[in-house]
Order: sequence, then structure tokens, then C-alpha cells
Amino acid sequence: MIKTLSNNISFLRAMLYISALVILVVGALTYRSVTEVTKSSEMITHTYKVNVELEQILSYLKDAETGQRGYIITNDSVFLEPYLSARNRINNSFAELKVLTKNTPQLKSKLIDVNTLINKRLIAFKTSYRSLPKKDIEDPNFISNFRNGKTLMDSIRDQIKGVIKLQNNLLNKRSDEYRSDLMATPLLLFSLLLCSLILMYLAYNSIYKNIKRLKITNEELEIFKESTNQSEIVSKHGSWTWDQNNDVFTFSDNLYRLLGEQPQSFEPTIQNFMQYVHPEDVEQLSQQVENMKKNVELPYIYYRVVHKNGNIKHLKAYGKSIINDEEETVLLGTTADITDEIISFRALEERNLELERNNQELSSFNYVASHDLQEPLRKIQTFLSRLEDEEAEKLSDRGTRYIDRIQNAATRMRLLIDDLLQFSRSNKADKVFEESNINLLLEAAKQDLAEVISAEDVVITSDAFPSMTVIPFQIQQLFVNLLGNAIKYKSEKRSPVINITHQVIEADNDAQITKPTKPFYHKITFTDNGIGFDNEYADQIFVLFSRLHNKDEYSGTGIGLSICKKIIENHKGHIIAKGKPGIGATFIIYLPID
Amino acid sequence: MTLFFKFDFNAICQTVLEQVLNNNNIKYKNVGFGEIEVLEKITPEKQQDLQNELDTFNIEIVENQKSILVQKIKDTITDMVFNEDTVVNVKSSVYLSEALGHSYGYLSNLFSEVTYTSIENFIIIQKIEYAKQLVIKQDLSLTEIAFKLNYSSVAHLSTQFKNTTGITPTAFQRIIAKRRDLNQQNN
Amino acid sequence: MQEDYINIILADDDEDDRMFFTDAFEDLKMTTKVQTFNDGVYLMDYLNSTEATLPNVLFLDLNMPRKSGLECLQEIKQDPKFKDIAIAIYSTSASEEDIENTFVQGANIYIKKPSSFKKLKKVLSEVVTINWQYHTNNMNKDNFLLRL
Repeated sequence: MIKTLSNNISFLRAMLYISALVILVVGALTYRSVTEVTKSSEMITHTYKVNVELEQILSYLKDAETGQRGYIITNDSVFLEPYLSARNRINNSFAELKVLTKNTPQLKSKLIDVNTLINKRLIAFKTSYRSLPKKDIEDPNFISNFRNGKTLMDSIRDQIKGVIKLQNNLLNKRSDEYRSDLMATPLLLFSLLLCSLILMYLAYNSIYKNIKRLKITNEELEIFKESTNQSEIVSKHGSWTWDQNNDVFTFSDNLYRLLGEQPQSFEPTIQNFMQYVHPEDVEQLSQQVENMKKNVELPYIYYRVVHKNGNIKHLKAYGKSIINDEEETVLLGTTADITDEIISFRALEERNLELERNNQELSSFNYVASHDLQEPLRKIQTFLSRLEDEEAEKLSDRGTRYIDRIQNAATRMRLLIDDLLQFSRSNKADKVFEESNINLLLEAAKQDLAEVISAEDVVITSDAFPSMTVIPFQIQQLFVNLLGNAIKYKSEKRSPVINITHQVIEADNDAQITKPTKPFYHKITFTDNGIGFDNEYADQIFVLFSRLHNKDEYSGTGIGLSICKKIIENHKGHIIAKGKPGIGATFIIYLPID
Repeated sequence: MTLFFKFDFNAICQTVLEQVLNNNNIKYKNVGFGEIEVLEKITPEKQQDLQNELDTFNIEIVENQKSILVQKIKDTITDMVFNEDTVVNVKSSVYLSEALGHSYGYLSNLFSEVTYTSIENFIIIQKIEYAKQLVIKQDLSLTEIAFKLNYSSVAHLSTQFKNTTGITPTAFQRIIAKRRDLNQQNN
Repeated sequence: MQEDYINIILADDDEDDRMFFTDAFEDLKMTTKVQTFNDGVYLMDYLNSTEATLPNVLFLDLNMPRKSGLECLQEIKQDPKFKDIAIAIYSTSASEEDIENTFVQGANIYIKKPSSFKKLKKVLSEVVTINWQYHTNNMNKDNFLLRL
């Protein structure tokens, strides 16, 4: 938009220059025409003046001639008066003519000829009337003189006519020249003025369009400005600009509000702003402001301000410099009030710490309880066993039975505590994730169960596992628990067969993964051919202490699968169970791949 | 910096014996497998002196014939198990009876009588010891070690290892490695 | 076996456990001399004293007041005069990592305290036997690792 506008400005400027040029040209042409017209009228005047003078001379000569004739006829010297005065008058006229023709050498020479002839004529006059005292009009001298005089007169007339003609020719020639000029000039003038008018119209059009466009833009800007102001209010931002060359600041309305003041209530300068900055942050902020001047981009800076009413607010500012139309650097900045975020962050932190403390306490409690419960229980069992060994003969049947039951109860308690201990140990805190050979962990798990595996003829087949980043002891525990379960809940009709498969799957392709954290997952499936379970209980079996059988049918504490679930959760995965009663059970584990 | 050693006990013992005998000016010949033919009569006092000197090396002059044989059995087994080159495909019972010139039954009974453990047990112990050494050396994989020691599979080796020591070969490996790191830290 | 005594020492703060221990060895027909100490400080004081008879096998409970079994273990491993002692950690259940850690710190044996007297006798007998085997066969004590 600015581009087209500036193009338009160039266009308008061009128009202006062209129009000025046109006007100048028009002016020049007009000036020329006027001078020409003046010149030609002067010329005409000049010519006529010359003609008049010449006619005057002729007339004087005629008068002289007439006078002479009169004198000859009447011999009255009164008639000689025009002849006498003719000379002077003719001289005067010649003087006039001299002035008039001083710029025209052609005429000048001609007039000199005429003058010579006139002189001759006048001499002829003199001669003729001098010869007149004889008063003989038939005197041949006189007649020849008279005739000479006439001839001279004729020549003079001719000369004069010639001059006049010459002048007229000159005049005509000149006026012809002028005429063509004068003809062209008005046309040229008119067409130029027309062009000028057209250009002016175009310029006007352009200006009008631009003004319209600017108006619309202005309106949009106004709306935009208003909405920015409002958005600043809602999002608790303020913005500022800093013209670094002229050291001029502007603060947006909301920036003032961030400081607890009314919009534009004081002059936007660094010093005024610093008045509001928390005394502890002033130095750092000043330093960063200094840095602002040198760097193109101002990294996020954090500082506090204190309102006049004592409220402390936390602000976060960011600035970036841009280069405007006039090649100047202007720094644009945004400042946000993050007090709320800071407060809620701190509150969150505190809550977290509290929760952690709580968790830690629970964990310790769990651990200590399980651990310390073991000691007395072990004693009970050991002393019982000693009792059985050494006092067996002295005990009655009942006594032996009772001791048996005590042993059972103690054993059961032992199992429970062991599992609780295991459960408390499967916390994630301070456990290290390592790149581990899963195949080895599976082997170790099988080793742990070696006795029961060989006793029950368990067949375990497994895919080769890639190495994974896990908590090794926990994964081994997971395998032990799952394999142990598969063996424990075996079917009576057949020896246990356990199959473990591994796949890498895309999170999106498997509906079981509801909120994938990574694009790819390991999918490990444990399938057994044991007694299975009703799918209705697929979720319940992972609940702590939840069992599907009572303790007389199958031993167990109901903790094993909870431990499995906890371990899987430590690894940010899922575990799902599926059962078919009488056929077998399947446990599917999903572990995200980093 | 750590240097690794391999010991040939028999060679060492022979060298020590020879040294001690020479120091005590005792003439001998045929320093063999746990035996010396002494070329002069030794008084009990002399024997006691000799014994005292040998005590520093933990070498015992054995009186008992049975003990001697048992020691021979042990040494033969040790040799058989710790053999670098040949994987002995012959059954250990055959090997022993051939090497020592007695029936396996006799050897077996004698061994149990004296040591309170069986030959089989002893063989297993030695194999596991060798396995430990190989694991520490880190040259061979578990599969290779299992093969070298005549086990049918890694699982078989692991099972016996665990039965004997209570821990898996991999755990053993891990522990030795961590011990090494700890020693390096402390030094 | 042999004519000399096998010297056994136990450090355990629990009275019952000390009783089980000594009774077990009494029942076992091995030529053993058993000493017990009530905690780590008493133990180390004895071991460091001049009249001490160093044991062949030392049994250490982990949870003891004043000085824990682990601390004793570390002290003993650092002193070269104790290098011939086979050290057995004798403790109630610990996590896998903790057990492995005792081996890493230099223990030779880890025993989880059994809950039957018969089992205890069996375990102790095994430990002593295997230790004796190491001794007689000149096997590398550093590789002596046993878990029961």
C-alpha cells in the first residue's frame, strides 16, 4: 500500500513538473507571439511613417512644382513660397526618414538616391526659375529644363514608388512570415493548454483516488488501533516504540495502565519510566536498556514495577528493531504483565513441593513399614521352626496343628509384606533409565523362576528384543511377575506355554493408545494358556489388593499386577489385559520409543 | 594402569620347590606332579625346617597317601578345566581314571571321603571359576564361554552359574565392572 | 576336613539373631569358633586390636546402630591386613540394587536371613564349606561371590 502510494507521489510529482513545464512553454510561446505581434505592428507603423514621409516629400515637391508653375504663369513670387519652404520641409522629412531608416540599409541607400534626385530637381527648379527673367516660356533651355524637371520628378516619383514598393514587399514578406507563425501559435497554445488540462485532470484523479484509499486505510487503522488498545487491555500488554536516532519514545495507552497510571498521563521517557521500576531491578534494567541500543533484538527481560499505591507487578518485555521508511532504526517493544502467571506459578511450585513431601513421607512410611515388619515376622517363623524341630515329640496333635496354622499365617503375612515392599520399591524417584539388553533381563527373570519353570515343565518362547532405555531392575521384576502369574494360574489340563512377542508399532495405528506421547511404541505381548479370566475384570485386576480368586484356591496378595502397572507407568507406557476363561490370558504392554 | 596375569600354578610351585630345596642343599630329582624324589634321607627336623620354609608359600608336605591322590585328582581336574586349547570331549570320569590309573569309582569315593564333596561338584566349581575368569577377561561372549566350557547352551551355563554362586553371569559381570570403576575412583 | 578351627565372627545388633547364629553353629558338626559383636563399632574395635584373631569368615548385619554393616565393609576392604577375610553380608531383605551394591563394595557373600532354623544351618554350613574350598584350592578370593 505504501509502495503504490509512493509511486503515486512520484507520478504526481511528474505531473507537476510536466504541467509547470507546459506552462513555461506556453508562457514562452505567448511571449514570443506578443513580441512578434508588437514587432509587426511597429513595422507597419514604421512603414507607413516612411511612406507618409515619402508622400510628404512628393507632396512638397508637387507643391514646389505647382508653385513654380504658378510663378511661371503669374510671375508672382507668392507662388515661389512652397518652393522655398519645400527645401526645408524636404530636409526635415529626410531627417525623419534618416531616423526611421537607420536600421534598414537598403532603404537608406535608396533614399540617398532619392535625395540626390530631389537635389537635382531642386537645382532644376532653381535653374528653371533663374532662367525665367527672360520670361520666355518658349525658350528651348527653359523647356528642356522644364522637361528635365519633369523627368526628374518622374524619376523621383518612380524612386519613391520603388521605395514604397520595396517597403511594402518587405512588409508583406514579414507579415507573411508572422502570419504563419501567428496562425500556428494559437493552435499550439491551445493544444498545449488542452494537454495541460488533461494532465491536471489525471493528477486530480490520482490524488482523489489516493485520498480515498488513504481514508479507508485510515479508518481501518483507527479500528485496528482501537482493537489493539482493547487487546492490550485484555491481555495485559503494553507496547512502546523508541526512535533511537531522535531518542523519542511512544508508550501505548495500556503501558501506562500497567504502571498503574492513566493513559498518556506523563511524558514517555526512560527517566519517567524508571521511576516506576522496583529499586532492586533498576540497575539490571538500565544495563539491559543500554544493551538495547546496540543490539538488533532485545531478549526477554524481566523486572518489577511498583505502582503509586504500592502494588508490585512483574513485567516481561521484549523488543525488536525495525527500519522504517526513512532508513531509521526504530525499536518496537511489547511489555506484558505476568504477575498473575508468576503468582500461580509460585503457588503451583509450593503445591508441588507439598505433594512431593507428602509422597516422600508416604514412600518412606511404606518402605519402613514393610521393611521393619519383616524382622519380627521372621523371628516368629524362625522360633516356630525351632519349636517344631526340637519340641515336636512333646507337642500334642492339636499343638502341632496349631503351630502349622501359625506358620501358614506367618507365611501369608510374609508374602504380603514382600509384595508391599516390592510395591514401594517400584517408585520412579531416583531410578536411572539405562539402555538395556531386554533379552538378558528376560533370561534373568526366567532364572529367578527356574525352579518352578522346570517343576511345571513350562515352555517359554520369545521374540528377540531390541535394546531399550528402561529401568533394568524394574523391567526384570515386571517379567518375573507376569511369568509368575502365567505359571501360577496354569490350567490343570496342560503344562504352561507362554509366548512373548515384540513389535514396533505406530501410535496412530493402534486404538489402544489413547494419548500417544511418541510416534512409535514397543508392543510386547505375553500370552499364556492358563485358566484365563473374564474380560469383565480386565481393568480390575490391576487394582491394588484386588483378586479374582480367594487365597485358598490360588496364593497371592493382589499386589503383583499393581506393581506391573506401576512399573509400566514409570516408563510412560500402558498395560492392557485380555482374558478368555479356560483358554488363557494375554497381557499387552506398550512402551514409547524415544 | 592395570596389568592382567595368567598363572600356571604348577610351574610356579615347581620353581618355588626347586628354590627351597636348593637353598636347603637337598639333592633331588624328578620334580613332578606334586612329587619330589629326594636323593637323601631327610631327618624329621630337616623336614620340619623344610616345611617351615614352604609354609611361607602355603605349600604343605603331605603325608597321607590318600591326600596325595586327592590332590592329584584336584590338580588333574583343574588342568582339564582350565585348558586353553582342547575342549575335552572325553567324559571327565574316563579322563580322570586314565590320567590317574585308578577306576573312577575308587577315585570318586576317595575324593568324597577326604573332601566331603563329590568330584562332579568339584568339577562344576572349577568350571564356574574358569567361567568367572573368562567373564572378567571380557574377551569372549557368554555364548563363546558356554561353548568353550562344554555347556549345551548359554542357558545351561547361566543355570549352573546361578546354582553355584547364586547370581547370574551377567550380574557377576556387572558387579566386577562396577568394582573396577570404584577402585579407579578410589585410586 | 582340617584340624584347625575355622574362625567365625558375627556383628548383629539383634539378640535373637545372634542366638540363632551361635545355636546353628553349635548344631553343625564343624570345628568352628564363633564370636559375636553387638554393633559395628565393637566389631571394628576388636578387629583393629592387637590380640585379635582374624576370622576366616565375617558375617555382617547391614542395619546396625552407630556403624552400619556397609561402613564396616568399606573400612575392612580398605585395610590390607584384612584382605584374607571372607565377608558375608547377613541381612533381612534388601532390594536387588542394594544387594548388588554390597558385592560391588567388596562383599563376598550375601545371605538373606532365613526364616527357618533348618534353612539357617544349611546356609551357614554351605558358606563355611565353600569358603574352605576356596582356601584349600587356592582359588581367587576376589572372584568369590556367593548369594544365598
